[in-house]
Amino acid sequence: MGSTLAPPRPAPHLQSAPRPTRLQRLRRRGVESYLFTLPVIVVFVVLFAIPLAQSFYYSLTDFNGYSTEANFVGFENYTTIWRDTSMLSALGFTLVFTVGTTVAITVLAIPLALVLNRKFFGRNLVRSVFFFPSVVSVAILGLVWGFIFAPLGTGVINSIIGWFGAQPIAWLAEPDLARISVVVVAVWGGTGWHAVLYLAYLQAIPSEFYEAASIDGASRRQQFRYVTLPLLTPAITVSQLLLITGGLKVYDLPYTLTGGGPGFATRTLTQSIIENGIAQGEAGKASALSVVFFVAVGLIIVAQLALSRRMEARFS
Amino acid sequence: MKQLRSILLSVVMLPLAGIVAIPFYYILVNTLKTQPEISASPLGLPSGLDFSNYTEVFKALPIWQSFLNTLYVGVVSIALMLLIGSMAAYGMLIGQGRLTKFIGVICLIAFLVPGQTTLIPLYRMLSGMYLVDTLEGLIVLYLAGSIFCYFLIIGYMRTIPMELFESARIDGASAFRIYRSIVLPLIRPILVTVGVFQAMWVWNDFITPNVFINSPDKQTLVLQVYSAVGQFSTDWPAFMTLSVIVLAPLVVFFIVAQRHIVSGLVTGSVKG
Repeated sequence: MGSTLAPPRPAPHLQSAPRPTRLQRLRRRGVESYLFTLPVIVVFVVLFAIPLAQSFYYSLTDFNGYSTEANFVGFENYTTIWRDTSMLSALGFTLVFTVGTTVAITVLAIPLALVLNRKFFGRNLVRSVFFFPSVVSVAILGLVWGFIFAPLGTGVINSIIGWFGAQPIAWLAEPDLARISVVVVAVWGGTGWHAVLYLAYLQAIPSEFYEAASIDGASRRQQFRYVTLPLLTPAITVSQLLLITGGLKVYDLPYTLTGGGPGFATRTLTQSIIENGIAQGEAGKASALSVVFFVAVGLIIVAQLALSRRMEARFS
Repeated sequence: MKQLRSILLSVVMLPLAGIVAIPFYYILVNTLKTQPEISASPLGLPSGLDFSNYTEVFKALPIWQSFLNTLYVGVVSIALMLLIGSMAAYGMLIGQGRLTKFIGVICLIAFLVPGQTTLIPLYRMLSGMYLVDTLEGLIVLYLAGSIFCYFLIIGYMRTIPMELFESARIDGASAFRIYRSIVLPLIRPILVTVGVFQAMWVWNDFITPNVFINSPDKQTLVLQVYSAVGQFSTDWPAFMTLSVIVLAPLVVFFIVAQRHIVSGLVTGSVKG
């Protein structure tokens, strides 16, 4: 991450004869590099800076999204969002989803990556099958799983448990079951992706490390603890960062699988921002929520990076 | 011992992969069935090869229209993203201290801002420009991905010896000429990787079209599947068939571009 902020390499000192003075070259390069970076600056200003400033501004007003006038209301929106049951519910489920998927995917993806790193018949097929769900649209997967979880006896899961004599269950109609179902589908869809990420780091560990460890008499478990795990720490950092930020931003899967229901049980923060801000004309309140969301995501990223830096320092 | 372990792994992992693949088997097998057949046995094999669901779905929905919409948005937005991202990366390399710091900072900010935070103002901005419910509006929004492209491209560019640019400059080539005839060919591998990665994002994205597109004739494929669920709520085979039709290009894409997808995943996550 830090590497992108590093200054560019100094140009090598060249000795060929007639060319512009150093100063002229610098000036020309300055103009040229402005021209080349201009498009990305425009993208930043139009798609990030202005909307971000507007979100801050709206969050301090009673703006409804379409009228021309908006009254300044101070921090009122920031207090009312904590009294809105649908928003609180969205916050709760978003946190449950984030923690649930992060823990479950990490616990499953690391062993899966270790297995996929061994040689066995059909390994490429297994790898592709686990990875494939993350290639296709999450929204479509959510819709397909909606049919799989169908409450009648004809749903896939209900007919499977029916073979064992169980009664059909309305998976998505009961709040807790619906929440668990959403998390399960997300884990199903995300584990392979993160396993491939871990796999890439595993394959970068030189085999000499393991040879040296086994010569020193380290058991398999010790090798995992003292060779694999420390060298996997950067991968764990990256994977968890992606899982946490991805979890907080989740929208597609709950929306297509349950529509946020039953009630507000599987509503997400993003759904709240969209529905309150665009459909229901509560742009001020929804903007306050989106600002809180931005600050929370930023803090988590910073905290996670600091924590992982400490972890890496401890392990190495 | 080693062979035994390998056999054991196959015995455990292949059935496990089978379980993970059930949803895909489920939708595929049910495209060949009728509604009563699905109700009778959702996972059973069809009684015969009957492709009438496919012809009916193509008749009932403007799938080609949505396919072309998605393709148009994808191709234009990814071409622009790669252009903007690679230009910025090159500009950064030839630029001087203050500018590069500034660009580094704005890109970092852009990275931290979740799309959700800018959604409401962007909706108002696009509606002010009459770009809501247009494919061009989607393209404008997807340009936000240029920042991610920039991050990956500059990481790759730093591995190219600067001497290559310098010698071209001494030969009298202009910066644009160097960009076009030296930089672009040299960074082709990363352009392909980033392009594949962003293509997956644009092709699969649901939130943007769902918020910004209303007209049926401007739908992307994913949005079409979503709105077809209401229409097909009782016609399960039709929904399954539509899903298979929409997922099929991705299977092909996955097989062709698997290598790039994985390398994009790795470089992307490291940079991000």
